[in-house]
Amino acid sequence: MDTQVIYNIIQQEAFGLNIAIYFYLTGLSAGSFILSTLAYAFGMNQYKPLGKVGIVLATMLLIIAPFFLLIHIGIPYRAWHLFVYLNFASPITWGSFLLVLYPINCLIYGYFMFKGNMRLTRIFGFIGIPLAISVHGYTGFILAFGKARALWNTALMPILFLVSAIVSGIALMILVCIIKDRFFSKEKKINLTLIFNLGKLLAWMIIFDLFLVGSDLIVLSISHSDAQATAHLLLLGKFSPLFLIVENLLGKIVPFILLVVPKFRRLTFIVVASILVVIGIFIMRYVVVVGGEFIPLI
Amino acid sequence: MRNKVKRYAMLFDLRKCIGCNACAVVCKSENNVPLGVWRSWVKKVEKGHYPHSKEFFLPIVCNNCEKPICVTVCPVGASIKRSDGIVYIDPHRCIGCRYCMAACPYGVRYINPKLNIAEKCYWCHHRVDAGLKPACVLACPTGAIMFGDLNDPESDVVKTMAKNAVQVIKPEMGTKPHTFYIDLDIDTVETKQMEEE
Repeated sequence: MDTQVIYNIIQQEAFGLNIAIYFYLTGLSAGSFILSTLAYAFGMNQYKPLGKVGIVLATMLLIIAPFFLLIHIGIPYRAWHLFVYLNFASPITWGSFLLVLYPINCLIYGYFMFKGNMRLTRIFGFIGIPLAISVHGYTGFILAFGKARALWNTALMPILFLVSAIVSGIALMILVCIIKDRFFSKEKKINLTLIFNLGKLLAWMIIFDLFLVGSDLIVLSISHSDAQATAHLLLLGKFSPLFLIVENLLGKIVPFILLVVPKFRRLTFIVVASILVVIGIFIMRYVVVVGGEFIPLI
Repeated sequence: MRNKVKRYAMLFDLRKCIGCNACAVVCKSENNVPLGVWRSWVKKVEKGHYPHSKEFFLPIVCNNCEKPICVTVCPVGASIKRSDGIVYIDPHRCIGCRYCMAACPYGVRYINPKLNIAEKCYWCHHRVDAGLKPACVLACPTGAIMFGDLNDPESDVVKTMAKNAVQVIKPEMGTKPHTFYIDLDIDTVETKQMEEE
């Protein structure tokens, strides 16, 4: 039987592009920080050159990120309410503290690293890892608490966000390392072993990310009616070009092939793969945030 | 035994609803709602083909849920549930982060374009506190809207709900809505209008 809506109001958009950019930047920051601790906290010395680059990137990105939240909220000069009127059930309250503690820890960790105090660097590195995981993980909880939106309301969301954060962090780190070595180092020589090691790490994180996105999609496509509508939206509807082609084909599958096939083990292909991943993860944030609220609630 | 604590509820008898929009209009005027946003509105769905067709109405207000997700997610505690069940927003505390709009399963919240804070229907608590009925209840020409205390056995709502099958919108969300409907048609809830693709 035919049913059609004769009249209904149009809902305002709750989270938009600003929030997608914010998630993207915190993701990049958390990914860079975790890479930076590989050498300085866990002692994997082959990643030592990443330490300083990683912490500088992580701090800078996390200082920029909250400005997108200030642009997003309706009354920015009331932002201090977040620290005075607390509601510990709300992920945004968790976040307002994480967004203060994490950059401070980054600054302390970076300070001791540049001073060469290895013991304290190690301690603040270990303090920073749970903070970095929380500062990006809580953004997954923000979306997962939106219980009416099928694309958001899944327990996979925090881990999916963390894995994509690490993926984008590694890709950005590859690009920054190449630029730094090529133009700003004394020898002007790129550390190829490091780049190829990072490339290998990136490839396996991409596979993990694809697995998570795939699991999410498979369950969505057989779950309740809104979830099926969301799966349809991503696979055949308005968001399918962004989701299938840009995010998953160009942003994950093509880079994976470029990174694992031995024929493509050249610097050019690693650069291309990293650029594709960095763009692909941004599109992933956009599709999750904006695509998630595309289906009308009522 | 009569419970002293109040728990307000609203009941829409859709058998009586004629889709006149009087509730939506009076709400705008009572609560000073700006252009482009609504606290209450009537969704209209047509089923079948002419001449074998009929229009169905779904008047929507805030459900003032027993377990409101908007109160859970509000980071500054601006969304508050009163002891009588009315959920309202403290306009001096709201920062306009829109998280409640993202989380509400019923889409009843909006950002006031003039004040940049979230607003919604709160069953005209300023009138209820003064002993009056909400504006939409008085405006409804067919008496399809009822409002009262669920713990008062003498109230219209309790008497009507005791004798009729009632339903709420999206019970699966677990928010325990307290806006009830008699004769609710599932198609009026499930049929969605997508933006033009």
